Amino acid sequence: MNRKIILLMVLILALLFPEGCWSRREINELAIVLGAGLDRTADNKVQLTLQLARPSAFSGGGENAGGEAPRQNNSWVVTGTGDTVLDAENNLALKVSRHIYWSHSIIIVYGESMARGGVRDVSNFFMRNPQPRETSWIFVTEGEAKNVLESHSELEKTSAQSIAFLARNQPGYSIMLEDFQQNLTSPGTNPAAPRIQLLKLGQPQGVGMEERLRHEEVGITGTGIFKDDKLVGWLDMSETRGLLWLHGKVKEGAIIVPSPGQPDKKISLAISRDKIKVNPEYDGETVKFNVNIEFDMELLEQQSNEDLTQPEKIKEIERLAAEEVLEQCNSALAKAQGDYGTDIFGFGEAFHRKYKTEWKKVKGHWNDEFQKARVDIAVEPHLRLTGMLHRRASLKR
Amino acid sequence: MRRVTRHIKGGCRNKAKIPPGSSNKDSSAELDESLLLTENLTTNLFRIKQFLIDCSDIVYREFLFAQREDIRLVMIYTDGLADKSQLSDQIMRALSLELPLSAPQADITRSGAYHLIKERGVCVHQIKETNRLDEIIEAILSGDTVLLVEGNSTAIINGARGWESRSISEPDTEVIVRGPREAFVENLSTNTAMLRRKLKSHLLKIEALRLGRISKTDVVIIYIKGVANEKLVTEVKRRLRKIDLDGILGSGYIEELIEDNPWSPFPQINHTERPDRMAARLLEGRVGIMVDGTPFALTVPNVFIEYLQAPEDYYERFYFATGVRIIRFAALVLSLTAPSLYVAIITFHQEMLPTPLLLSIAAQRESVPYPAIFEVLFMELSFEILREAGIRLPRQIGQAVSIVGALIIGEAAVRAGLVASATVIVVAITGISSFVFFYSASIAIRMLRFPIMMASAALGLFGLISSIIVLVLHLCSLRSFGIPYLSPVAPISVGDMKDVVLRVPWWAMYNRPRLIGWKNPRRLGPEQKPDFPEVKNRGGAGDA
Repeated sequence: MNRKIILLMVLILALLFPEGCWSRREINELAIVLGAGLDRTADNKVQLTLQLARPSAFSGGGENAGGEAPRQNNSWVVTGTGDTVLDAENNLALKVSRHIYWSHSIIIVYGESMARGGVRDVSNFFMRNPQPRETSWIFVTEGEAKNVLESHSELEKTSAQSIAFLARNQPGYSIMLEDFQQNLTSPGTNPAAPRIQLLKLGQPQGVGMEERLRHEEVGITGTGIFKDDKLVGWLDMSETRGLLWLHGKVKEGAIIVPSPGQPDKKISLAISRDKIKVNPEYDGETVKFNVNIEFDMELLEQQSNEDLTQPEKIKEIERLAAEEVLEQCNSALAKAQGDYGTDIFGFGEAFHRKYKTEWKKVKGHWNDEFQKARVDIAVEPHLRLTGMLHRRASLKR
Repeated sequence: MRRVTRHIKGGCRNKAKIPPGSSNKDSSAELDESLLLTENLTTNLFRIKQFLIDCSDIVYREFLFAQREDIRLVMIYTDGLADKSQLSDQIMRALSLELPLSAPQADITRSGAYHLIKERGVCVHQIKETNRLDEIIEAILSGDTVLLVEGNSTAIINGARGWESRSISEPDTEVIVRGPREAFVENLSTNTAMLRRKLKSHLLKIEALRLGRISKTDVVIIYIKGVANEKLVTEVKRRLRKIDLDGILGSGYIEELIEDNPWSPFPQINHTERPDRMAARLLEGRVGIMVDGTPFALTVPNVFIEYLQAPEDYYERFYFATGVRIIRFAALVLSLTAPSLYVAIITFHQEMLPTPLLLSIAAQRESVPYPAIFEVLFMELSFEILREAGIRLPRQIGQAVSIVGALIIGEAAVRAGLVASATVIVVAITGISSFVFFYSASIAIRMLRFPIMMASAALGLFGLISSIIVLVLHLCSLRSFGIPYLSPVAPISVGDMKDVVLRVPWWAMYNRPRLIGWKNPRRLGPEQKPDFPEVKNRGGAGDA
């Protein structure tokens, strides 16, 4: 028995030592990447910008809290250049004393130079490398990605976190790395990514506070649309709404329409649930899409003083809301389909699902086909809640 | 006679080698010659005294039977073990003073006197006669009083025992809020009486045994006939009889000598100091072993799940009991794996943490000079040292230690940058969880935590999972008196699931544990679910 146990111990020890602790990395030996930015330099090289967390700035809730200005930077932004992303990373690593650790990188920002030239040859690095998350949010920015990463946030600890949380709340069109790559892969759709910009935000609140606000914060200002892997143009926020409607991704938000009886006054409608059906039709020559958007609304705000709970008023509000949504969709469609000829709505996928054999013929030149396609949009809003309890305060006495 | 003296020379020190344990191994011829009483009182007394030489706690009291000079009596007892008031009232006063008043005694012979003493004189409840020296010695040392009568080769053993013992108090190790508040004491007869009071049935059998070459400890095997499996009872007896140790000072001695897997860190025999818990286990078909001199009674067979059941589960409402059991299971997992999981994640799998948490831990670890495993080991060791100190130290110093412990571990180590505060939280939660379930199982779990920690520090989650697998395999291989240690979970027994994570109400627990109580599976009568429609329809019991 004793001999057996000793033998077992020796075996276990023998297993442990050659195995070693080769993949062991203490947390304080890591340079935690929070955000990555990619730019194309003038000499056609890849410029990688990393926002690295400075853990010592994150200690507890104690020291930095209480409205006091941070005494040190929360992050450190480093840049490296190389022929490929990995080459750039290696060059960058020469300046960083710790292992570069990608697993917590939550945003990837493409600078305009990179996005216009095509992102396919750099974005696959983030999929092949096991460390970066496929759930990183993708952005494009006018100008250099480096500038965006160098900014800082008033609310969050770092600008990378601030941008990622912004994307998570989906005020515009947000997309993750995995979906972006999927859109790149599929011939039936083209990717789009939110546009971020540095904006001058906030007002100093007292003497001596100007210093803190002498910077610009990152905000979402629209959507960058791609044709294949190249950035071709921008959508503003209203057109972005149209893109969201056609993707069935609206989820929440509001529509502002004129009040039926008093067109100079406005009413606000909150969207609570939306559903989209895309039904392609193909006669061998032209492609036609019948898009049906159905959503629920509730009346949230009323400037007029008429009684909107009347059935005919409700009908009228629904008509006005439908017009508004239709307009948003059409503006997005006009830009993507008309100006740039790129299908960022995934209509090609819907076509593929319905016409499998015909798809083979058109998939090689789908964007051209899409440009010629007719899109009929039917909008069917339902005003569910008109505020029976609170309407009295709005009515004329 | 010479042989006897040779034996006697061994005296008290070598007592164990001579009678009575070895007596049945000697040939009867030798036994007759050396170990029987003679009719001569002086000789008998001399021989007893030779046995008990240098035993200063033995008292020899000579007095006269009914004031007759020719019939001398000698009373021998151990100081402190015999009830002295009973001796002086019921034996000495009765024989020397009261008997002469009530009975004719002038013409009585010595043997007549003996019978008179036995039948009328001695007012003690239990008496026994013997003519063997070894039995006399054992009786004296067990607390009985031996009465030798001049001219008789038989002695009377009076069971007038009485010694100082602790009174019944509340259990210290198994505290509950609702339920009986009594615990076993060191005195075996008090303990069996407590059990008998709970189970007033002729089926409750209490079989006595003596173990220990020198200690001669009384041990009893307790079971309910018809409920406990006879084979199990026989097996328990067989294993107990095999024990040949000089002293049995606690039930832990026996536990280690009769368990199935002596090398396992897990206890395979359960112990309790609560009579109600013991009774409940006996009712399930288990067999109990009680040892004189310790308040902890053993029960076999034992399954692992028992450590996660508390007596209170059965006294409180079943919803609450089930909820608390889930907490206990969680505590078990936490106390075994929390530090290893922590080490594995922060040294190998940082991607598993949410980003803000990772940053916060990274900030705490920024000034820590050692790898996480050393940090955790250091904290775990400090905790174990504090815990051990808390048990061992005199009560008056307790506060000082807890203050130092709290300051050193909680505050100073973090401030000095020796450990991260997350580590303190992990170690604290581990330490507290390990006290949630039964103490002796928690010892095993606490010990096994360390190798698992090392494995996860070397191999990450892979090491953690591998060591858990090894542990589960080991647990699956264990048996307690033939019953799989992980039953009723593995092998699964669906009916017994009513008392594992869930504790179903009493009216639904029809059967005894399948593997243990199969002899007499049913413990509940039919239609026990409370349902009184006649009262409900009338709208209350009040107007009945």
